[in-house]
Formats: sequence, structure tokens, C-alpha cells
Amino acid sequence: MAELHPTEESLVLQLIIGLLYPFMLLYGFHIILNGQFTPGGGFQGGCILATLFVARYVVFPVDDMDSERMHIIERLFLVLILVIPVLLLFTGVVSRYPAYRPLYLMIMDLVIGVEVAFGLGVAVLRFAFFQGVGQTWRL
Amino acid sequence: MRPWLSALLLVSVYVLVMTMTHGHASPHDAFLCDYVLRHFHDDTGAHNAVAAILLNYRMYDTMFEALILLTAIVGMHQFLPRRADIEAGEEARHG
Repeated sequence: MAELHPTEESLVLQLIIGLLYPFMLLYGFHIILNGQFTPGGGFQGGCILATLFVARYVVFPVDDMDSERMHIIERLFLVLILVIPVLLLFTGVVSRYPAYRPLYLMIMDLVIGVEVAFGLGVAVLRFAFFQGVGQTWRL
Repeated sequence: MRPWLSALLLVSVYVLVMTMTHGHASPHDAFLCDYVLRHFHDDTGAHNAVAAILLNYRMYDTMFEALILLTAIVGMHQFLPRRADIEAGEEARHG
């Protein structure tokens, strides 16, 4: 990719996305943590968190993120998704202690959300930089 | 001629399958739906039946759903070229 200075991108985009960035983060975690009260949950909130990577790419299309490390984090959380239910749900711990059921649901939603966010982020960035040099998508 | 024949085949197979399944449709018994809607809060502690089903009743379904994402990313890692591959290809073509 040609050396791209951040200020080459549209100022309007930079300002608006910079303004929206914390709200997107907040909204994603809101959807994830309210998964047991309202429609939504880990997968949906994870998709919203993944839009953070897309927004960053739109403003600053430089391939400086380590997608290997993101993939490792994603696999780590996937292991948690597989291990936590096997240890807590399938052994009957969750049904034996009713007080901890909401905590279990919240932890599972959070783990699924982070896994989906990093997974979709890796996918989007890999496709975005697939063409490689100098062919980034610009608004 | 051939596209018409394949279209005819497609439509006839569709009609055949629809008539077969329509004839054998059993009356839908909603006991599972009733059970879940009545007991999900006591069983799982969730305030939302969808969360109760996703994270408790059908947890194994969610686990393998999460695995699908990993499979997709592993496929992308396998088949999409890396930056180093692209640059090596460019050099090989130009030099």
C-alpha cells in the first residue's frame, strides 16, 4: 500500500467516526450485557463491536494491526465458549446453584461477544487488505 | 432448448417435493414451545426466552455456531494470500 497519511482521509469522516467510536463501543457492550433481558446477546453485540474495526479501517486504511494476534485472542475465547458450558452447565453446577444462573448467562454472553467481535474483525481486515498494495476502498 | 428443460426439471421437482411434504404434514403440537415459555425463568434464570434457549437449553448449538466462525477464518487464512505472498508475486512478475 502507498504510504497514506491519516490526514489524507476526509475530515468529516474522521470527526464523525471519532465522535461515534465510544458510543459504538458502549452500544455493543450494552447489547451483550443485556442479552438475558432484551433481544440480542453475544452474537449481535459482537457484530456491533466488530464494526469498530470497520470504522477504523474506513478512517485509517493502513494494515498495521496484527491479525495473527487477533486470531489467537479469538481462538482463546472460543476455547472458553467450549470449556465453560462443559464445566458449569453440562455437569449441573448451574442448575444446582440458582443464584449464579444470571452470572453464568452474562459471562457466556460476554465471551461469545468478544469472540465474534475479534472473529469478524479478522475476517473484515483480511478481506479489506486482500488486494494488498494501493487498492484500498475509499469513501 | 436445454435451459428450458432444466427449468422444467427444477419446477417439477419443486412441485413434487411440495406436494409430498404437504400430504404428510402432521398437526403441529406446540408442547415444547409451551414448556419453554412456562418454565424458562425457573429453569435458567434468564428474563428472555431466547437467551434461555441459546445459552442453556440448546447450549451445544451455540458452541458449534461459534465453531463455524473459526472454520470460516481458518479457511480464509488458508486460501487468501498474505501480504508477503502478494509482494513476492509482484517481484517475481516484474523482476
